[in-house]
Amino acid sequence: MTLRPATAALILFFVAIVAFFCVTAPRFATASNAENLMSGFSFVAIIAMGEAFPIMVRGIDLSIGAIVGVVGMVVFDMAQILHVPGYVILPAALVVGTLAGALNGVLIVFLKLQPFIVTLATLAAFRGFTYAISGRQLVPGLTTTPITDPWIAGLETYFDLGGQLGLSKFVAMPWFPFSFLIMLALFAIFQMLALATRFGRDLYAVGGNKEAARLAGISTGGTIISAYAIAGFCAAVTALIMVARFTTSTEALGTGMELTAIAAAVIGGVSLAGGIGSMFGPALGAFLLGAVLLGLTLLGVPQFVQQIITGAILLAAVGYDRLLALRRQRRLNANLAEVS
Amino acid sequence: MAETPLIRGIGLTKAYGNLVALRDADLTVMRGEVRALIGSNGAGKSTLIKILTGAAAPTAGVVEIAGETAPLGDPKEMIRRGIACIYQHPNLTPAMSVLDNIFLGRQPTRRFGFVDRGRHRREALALVERHGIDIDVDATVGGLPTVKQKEVEILKALALDARVILMDEPTGWLAASEVVKLHATIRAMKARGVGIVYISHVLDEIFAVCDTVTIIRDGRVVAESAVADIDRLQVVHLMVGEKLARESAQAMHHKRNPRGSGEIRLSARNLTKHGVFKDVSFDLYAGEVFCITGLIGSKRTELVRTLFGSDHFDSGVLEVDGQPSTFANPSRAMARGIGFVPEDRRREGLMLDMTVNENLAMATLDRFQYGLLMSRSRMGQAGRRMISSLSIQPPDGARTVNLLSGGNQQKVLVGKWLNRAPRILILDEPTVGVDVGAKAEIYTILRRERDGGAAVLVVSSDLEEVMTVADRIGIMVSGRLVAIHDADAVHMNEVVREIGMGTG
Amino acid sequence: MSASGVVTLSLIRRQIASNALPIAILAIVLVFTMAQPAFISPDNLIGIVRQAALIGIMATCTTFVIMTGGVDLSVGPVLAASGLVSYYCLEANLPLILVILAGLSVGVLVGLANGAAIAILQLPPIIVTLAMLSVVRGSALMLGGPEQHLIRDKPEYTFIGAGNLFGLPFSIYVFALVALVMIFIQRRTPLGLLVAAIGDNERAAYLSGHCTRATKTLVYVISGLGAALAGIIQSSQVHTALATYGPFGTELDVIAAVVLGGTSITGGNGSVARTLLGVFFLGVVNDGMNILNVSIDIQLIAKGAIIIVALALAARGG
Repeated sequence: MTLRPATAALILFFVAIVAFFCVTAPRFATASNAENLMSGFSFVAIIAMGEAFPIMVRGIDLSIGAIVGVVGMVVFDMAQILHVPGYVILPAALVVGTLAGALNGVLIVFLKLQPFIVTLATLAAFRGFTYAISGRQLVPGLTTTPITDPWIAGLETYFDLGGQLGLSKFVAMPWFPFSFLIMLALFAIFQMLALATRFGRDLYAVGGNKEAARLAGISTGGTIISAYAIAGFCAAVTALIMVARFTTSTEALGTGMELTAIAAAVIGGVSLAGGIGSMFGPALGAFLLGAVLLGLTLLGVPQFVQQIITGAILLAAVGYDRLLALRRQRRLNANLAEVS
Repeated sequence: MAETPLIRGIGLTKAYGNLVALRDADLTVMRGEVRALIGSNGAGKSTLIKILTGAAAPTAGVVEIAGETAPLGDPKEMIRRGIACIYQHPNLTPAMSVLDNIFLGRQPTRRFGFVDRGRHRREALALVERHGIDIDVDATVGGLPTVKQKEVEILKALALDARVILMDEPTGWLAASEVVKLHATIRAMKARGVGIVYISHVLDEIFAVCDTVTIIRDGRVVAESAVADIDRLQVVHLMVGEKLARESAQAMHHKRNPRGSGEIRLSARNLTKHGVFKDVSFDLYAGEVFCITGLIGSKRTELVRTLFGSDHFDSGVLEVDGQPSTFANPSRAMARGIGFVPEDRRREGLMLDMTVNENLAMATLDRFQYGLLMSRSRMGQAGRRMISSLSIQPPDGARTVNLLSGGNQQKVLVGKWLNRAPRILILDEPTVGVDVGAKAEIYTILRRERDGGAAVLVVSSDLEEVMTVADRIGIMVSGRLVAIHDADAVHMNEVVREIGMGTG
Repeated sequence: MSASGVVTLSLIRRQIASNALPIAILAIVLVFTMAQPAFISPDNLIGIVRQAALIGIMATCTTFVIMTGGVDLSVGPVLAASGLVSYYCLEANLPLILVILAGLSVGVLVGLANGAAIAILQLPPIIVTLAMLSVVRGSALMLGGPEQHLIRDKPEYTFIGAGNLFGLPFSIYVFALVALVMIFIQRRTPLGLLVAAIGDNERAAYLSGHCTRATKTLVYVISGLGAALAGIIQSSQVHTALATYGPFGTELDVIAAVVLGGTSITGGNGSVARTLLGVFFLGVVNDGMNILNVSIDIQLIAKGAIIIVALALAARGG
């Protein structure tokens, strides 16, 4: 598998950042910090991978954070009010998220509206829906009662893989959160989907040149709807992980996550123009952001400076991507000159 | 007993609201038949093609494939029934490889939808070899020159094992040798029983490779004939109607004016841009039309862009009115009296959603400005004058440019620059996609400018156009200006020979 | 139906389509008035305009950005930052004019940064302004911390947002002035035409000799100015400067108003006047729902549904 220069740069940058913090920040190179990174940012990686799909078909999903909210509230209601067993809640949550995403896709394809606008509108509508179905005020004390269903709470388990594999005798190993393993599984599945299946080829085709894809007989509508449905699915997984972590859900769950997801995806090399990108970038981008934020926290850098630095990283990433594109263009022109 | 046609369109009609693009058109293609489809731009050819390939659904009419009625407006269905099309503009995904593009949407799969990489590659390589096309299947399409992209398109159509292949202006970007290769491929496919619809306005090619011809004008089929039973003049007459055909023929006999008034307006000495063009030298005189011709890829567009400041040369001297000049951007060149009509009017020339008046005024906005304000009424007046001077149809300055035909759009674009009364007017492929009538009008406009004292530089690949309108002819080959002739001192064959020489 | 009847009907339909927004606004006002007569009282109507002033100023100023095919997501933090800067200048007892200039300069600076990255480095507007959102918000927090800063005893300043002139809130006059200026710029100055041209075909505009980079930078500066002005008005209205004003969602409300007004998010033709209609439409809907005590969930759902329905209808009719 050939490495795109953007991906190689991303990996190098990640390594550089980790190295930097290992040296400068106390307690960065510890098992507990690695655990924090995984537990705090695995779901960010998942939602970034989900956001990558709409971006790859030359769209965008601004409502992905609101879908997290909807699914979170559905889980809350089903667990705390309807007392539905966990093994029903889990699939139900995934279905709700996927359907919400599919709704975005359907509106975009059938109403022929710009994705920015549609998902802007569903951002409001989904958030409103979250408020509408919120059962948090129904019973006094509900807001403070933790969700104890084993299927859900189980999502927040930690696995002592180091101990089990005998590695912790040699080096202090972090315990791996279940969410990290889920992220790895989803990464593997989606990466295969994107790179090795016909659906993946169709996805890149629709994103790269929608009209050519249509004329080649590809169902552009179906591909686009699927891309948004996948985003919704990832939002659902994210919601489950977050609800398990906080043992409850609020109406504001997921607010602002779309911006983080987009940032991680773009840092990971997914192009806003469509047709370019894979799962590796968004996932690594999310952990890169996570490493930076955790490292800065350990260095005692205040929250708001962290915000500034996050913004700067995003600018640098997109600036670098542009630089690569320019270089590609220059190489292309040189090639044309030779061939003529 | 008549053989069943491969494809048959009956009574096809397409209306977009009030605009009827195609009216009651019939088209039939038999096994092994190469049918030409001719018509001016806007005559309805593209609409007919779109219907036959399922890219658009007709308002009325039926399409039969091998005798069976086919579902309309569904590209996938048409592909399934063996109808392939090579469109004028590349329909490829630039970020994906040649391999992926050849089988776009149809990569061979194993279970669960996984792409069968091995078979995919083997089939593609077999195709490439069978048709003798030289291409790297792993190359990224976006990085290929247009010629190679055309080859990918052809491979894509061949991969479909189509019964009928429609080709829309297939040679627009090809060199003469490549056209010959394409025609050979067409004859091979014909021998295998494939039916071909060949859309083109290059009469030479049609008479070289087609069996039959269908002529469309104003949305209707006005004639169908075997190629052997009709001659060029008749074809042109049928395409444009009597009057314009005569004007077009007359245009061939105008007086030539090489070196115009003798005053050198622009002088290029050894202009070089590394890897693009080298040592280009020529003089441009006031009162003449100097045409630079050559093959696609000879870098003429790249050259003239540096004259206008939208690109830069690396070494050499450019003198305008005797003064050495380097233009950092177009506005500097414009300040010295240079106007530039770019090749792609839709991408680089016009604001398609703005009005005719606004587009006409786009390069002369300061004329309608007083202080901070802009006068729309003066813009409207100036627009009216230019519209009437150029016979822009319909003569409505408030109409959105997108609604005009290709020829009228081109006139608006030219009009924008004429408004500046340029001392040097550069036009890059000024009549691409323009119907015969508007072409003649544009040639008249060019002559008017020339007679008014402007120095006119035209880049054109259309030899007929060059022979019609040039006072002097320059020939560029692979980035070098290899010859300059006075138009009345050279024969077209000589020009063709020089163009084909020294490739690479 | 007779032929002339058909023609008249289609004419009427086209009239309705192009005047959809004003008709919709009237319709909604009617509906809300029937449900709650107090809706149409002068007090309430003035309240609507006053409420709408903040988003309205930002939306009118950001219309040009959207017409060039860009977007400015950083308006919220700019609003907060300019309020903070004004607060500190007031605390330093600077004269009013300098206070206002300082506040506005925040918008100019951010606008220049946005413009430079977008027009000169040619980076995508969504990402640049998204990054700027982070940077400016962080900077605002760094400057003012998370605490509220009360503006005390500064009557000339607080007059801007909270004062009345001839019975109408002063902020409405500011809003009206900004709106008039922007409409004037669009209709009667070359800038207005250039902005539409760049949105339509930037390359062609460049090849026609125009400095597109300068124009594009300028539109982001204008957008920043609008957000900064809104920040001054808000902080003077509530006598407080807070680094977290203009929270997430502000920029989306602004964009929604512009888009409802008919400007396409992909750029090209657009109209400041119609953005105003979009602003009023949203303002009327918001206020009506508040008066009718519609719960926030339904309000949000309604807002989303309205945007989609309105745009879908516009796409059909156009």
